[in-house]
Amino acid sequence: MRRSLAQNLVLALGLLVLAALVLLPFWWVASGSVKLPKEIIQRVPTMMPHSFTTQHFEKLFSSSDFPTYLVNSLLVALASTAATVALALPAAYAFFRMDFPGRAALYRAILLAYAFPGVVVLIPLYGLFSAAGLVDSRISLVIVNVAFALPFAIWMMRSFLASVPREIEEAALIDGAPVATILLRIMVPLIAPGIASVAVFAFIASWTEYLFASVLIVSDERRTIPVGFAGIIGQYQIDWGLLLAGATAATIPVVLLFALVGRWFVAGLTEGAVK
Amino acid sequence: MRNATLPFAFVAPALVFLAAVLGWPLLQAVWLSLQDVGVIGSQGRFVGLANYAAVLGDGRFWRALLRSLVWVAGNAAVQTLAALGAALILNQQFPGVRLARTWIILGWIVPTVVVVIIWRWLLSTSGGMINPLLVQAGVIDRPVGFFASRESAMTTLILINSWRWFPFTTLMLLAGLTRIPGELYEAARIDGAGAVKRFTRITWPLLQPTLLVLGVVGTLLSFNVFDVIWLLTAGGPAQATQTLPVLIYETAFKGYRLSEAAAVSVITSLLLMAFAVAATRAMAADEAER
Amino acid sequence: MKRLTFLAGLAALLSAGTALAEPVNLTLWHMEQPPHRVQRMQELLDEFNKANPDIVVKQEPQSWGEVYAKAPAAMSAGNGPDLLFTIPDFTTVMKGIDAVVPVDDLVKELDAKHGFVPATLAPYQYDDHVWAVPAYNMAISLWYRNSALKAAGIEVPKTWSEWKAAAEKLSADGKYGIGLPANKQLYTDQTVYSFMVNNGAADIYKDDGSIDFDKPQTVAAYQAYADLQKLSPPDSPSWTWGEAEACFASASCGMILQFTVINTYDTQAEADPADLGVAPVPHADDQVDSATISYSNAIMLTTKDAAKQEAAKKFLTWLLEPQTYGRFLTMEPGLFLPVTNDGAEADSFWKDPVVTKYKSQVETMVANSKNGKLFGFTTGKVFPSIGAISAQNVIAETLQHIVVDGQSAADAVKAGQARMAEITAKK
Repeated sequence: MRRSLAQNLVLALGLLVLAALVLLPFWWVASGSVKLPKEIIQRVPTMMPHSFTTQHFEKLFSSSDFPTYLVNSLLVALASTAATVALALPAAYAFFRMDFPGRAALYRAILLAYAFPGVVVLIPLYGLFSAAGLVDSRISLVIVNVAFALPFAIWMMRSFLASVPREIEEAALIDGAPVATILLRIMVPLIAPGIASVAVFAFIASWTEYLFASVLIVSDERRTIPVGFAGIIGQYQIDWGLLLAGATAATIPVVLLFALVGRWFVAGLTEGAVK
Repeated sequence: MRNATLPFAFVAPALVFLAAVLGWPLLQAVWLSLQDVGVIGSQGRFVGLANYAAVLGDGRFWRALLRSLVWVAGNAAVQTLAALGAALILNQQFPGVRLARTWIILGWIVPTVVVVIIWRWLLSTSGGMINPLLVQAGVIDRPVGFFASRESAMTTLILINSWRWFPFTTLMLLAGLTRIPGELYEAARIDGAGAVKRFTRITWPLLQPTLLVLGVVGTLLSFNVFDVIWLLTAGGPAQATQTLPVLIYETAFKGYRLSEAAAVSVITSLLLMAFAVAATRAMAADEAER
Repeated sequence: MKRLTFLAGLAALLSAGTALAEPVNLTLWHMEQPPHRVQRMQELLDEFNKANPDIVVKQEPQSWGEVYAKAPAAMSAGNGPDLLFTIPDFTTVMKGIDAVVPVDDLVKELDAKHGFVPATLAPYQYDDHVWAVPAYNMAISLWYRNSALKAAGIEVPKTWSEWKAAAEKLSADGKYGIGLPANKQLYTDQTVYSFMVNNGAADIYKDDGSIDFDKPQTVAAYQAYADLQKLSPPDSPSWTWGEAEACFASASCGMILQFTVINTYDTQAEADPADLGVAPVPHADDQVDSATISYSNAIMLTTKDAAKQEAAKKFLTWLLEPQTYGRFLTMEPGLFLPVTNDGAEADSFWKDPVVTKYKSQVETMVANSKNGKLFGFTTGKVFPSIGAISAQNVIAETLQHIVVDGQSAADAVKAGQARMAEITAKK
């Protein structure tokens, strides 16, 4: 399959546009975070920084508890991911590999979870958590995040499960293996890329969640990055340098994470399902 | 299979969990909508369907519903087009394709609050890059306010939200594209079909199932987007971007009419449920055909 | 590296969990979330806790964005704070759910001791009680650069026609003569109301609680605002305080209305302190004096426990002592203004390096703040619907109908009156 020169040009142009669209905003933010305040708000902005300073980062790390927010975000996101996968895997297996009465209806009921705005359950959920003594706890965030990621996670597992040939399972069943063993020993390794994609989805959903974290968390030592970041915006003044440093600092951890697992996520989505 | 209760045991944890965390609060919201609670935490009386009558008789609800439809349609159009273009590019083979496939996701993995601040700064006239860039390119002859008119405020919000979500859509479409067997294209090529024909005859029809599912899930997800709109325009200017979730939030927490907000929520949920049920039926029918 | 940050975070988590069991514990919620303010607050709290071993005050910074939902939810669930920072309209909301304890005696005592500025106490005095202890004041002033005015050959404007002429003259070379916001947001409420109070349209309620918004003075104020707003940057319909400050600091805007620009000017503009000009908001041509909008920020008592109430009073008394009070105010130097006569003279306030550097400007700000009023709190009678009118930014939204939709000022104000009446009619 050879591409003509014209096709190559179109492809290169398309890639360039795509790269600019995705990367330029981040370049502006990251390069802005090391500019002197005067250059940041300059009427004619600069593409490359003309000044260099680390003052915004120093202010960020000396005066706000960014490392704590980071740890909280990681703890909540990891726990949410684990719980989402643990709940989604057996449910998806039952939905897509087993037959039972009411299967279709139950599956639809789960998808309906997306049919109402998160704002709706904010207040009743606050009451629920309060009664359980879970306000201002990271567990409350995990519970919320799992609830909102779960339906999509189950749906995502579907195509991966569908790609495993029935014969493999049937052979194991004839050998007398319990279903739980089949799921764990045979299915899990086969759909590992799919599980990875679901895990990354759940992780990112939790990592970016703001509304519930802003209301359910009260004390500074349990804030996640989005809420901690919103905290440095301030009511009557905006320190753009500090905000750009904060935006950069909030982006770097996920970039590192994605550098490690990103390939899995993409491969899981695009290659794992090809059968 | 052998054990009739086993599937239920597998499904139960997820179901019970969702029922407790989402179902139960939803029931409470229904109960709330039948009372006249004002500020959160105050007492209310039972008023029957009075809130529903008030909401449905109020032009504000219908206008917000209309805006929500514009919002969903706009997002669907922009995201589908952008994602389809990006997916077709990333489906080619070229050096660095894996890198490109991984890092296109960047906008999606950053917290929404950060996305909002990034764009607020980039679009401002004090230090923002977008205005000077557009002036230089000759698109506009002087800086403009992106949130200064009704139409441009809605358009700008749709573009920002799409910027955040199109990478995810792209990967989903890419997954769909990779499932199309390469032999089909080879066969078409031998038959002398051009690039356009191959797209309209093979790619587009075979992407339909993926697009359908994305359309359903994407509609529900983007309908419920709240934080981007709230943090950038708070529903303004002059209510031009007040979609239903924004109306709900504003009624509950700024207007201090919690029960009325609950009524709007319940109506909204019913509408979305009707859509979801119809859509899942369509998906099931689609599957049965194949 | 990764493990190190993790351990550091873990250590921070553990150390934050240690607290003594016996003393009276007070939880304080405030909305001064920027890190340096939290830091200053912590220094003060540490000092107080050390001097009073029987009391431990702990701060939990919140944000204005969420506290309107969060505080009522927390109070009704029984895990709210004991002391809660407030502005007048927020107090009406919290009072509406019976969460606020009157502080009549304490305020009387502190007034005798330090002398409250009447304008800071007025918005909390109604329904036969005082509902919060004033803590700091903020008032809108007009900010400009002396050099820019001089170069354009203009005097500091005192009336609206002088103001308009000045703004037009300063609009040159791609710069904007004035930066006025038109966002559906609190900042716009504040700037628009600064026009209203300068045309005798301060009251938005009649004594019987009906709305008194639609009147010729209000319409004229909106008209004057909209005319000046045309000279503002194109993105001003989405401005909050920060964008206006940036516009002024980068010298793109000739003048702005703000509580303060001192901090931004000092750190971001890198310009001469003597060049920064501040004056009262200009008044309508037929008025004599300038007035402004002021936000008296205060602290509410939100605990029903007698021992906690006593401890809280002790803390508030300590906070307003001149030697501590100045350091409290200068958690954001050049923004928070004293609410007591003692505070206005306190060394601890004037000795702050930033305040010293911008002494003349701060003096003007303090003087302006004494003529401050706040919509809904001008007549000595307060009606519950002001909470919803403030929170939904009806004043700002009315302006948007003129600036964005091109309605006439008269039509927009009429619609604004109708909207306020509708809000008042609902419970």
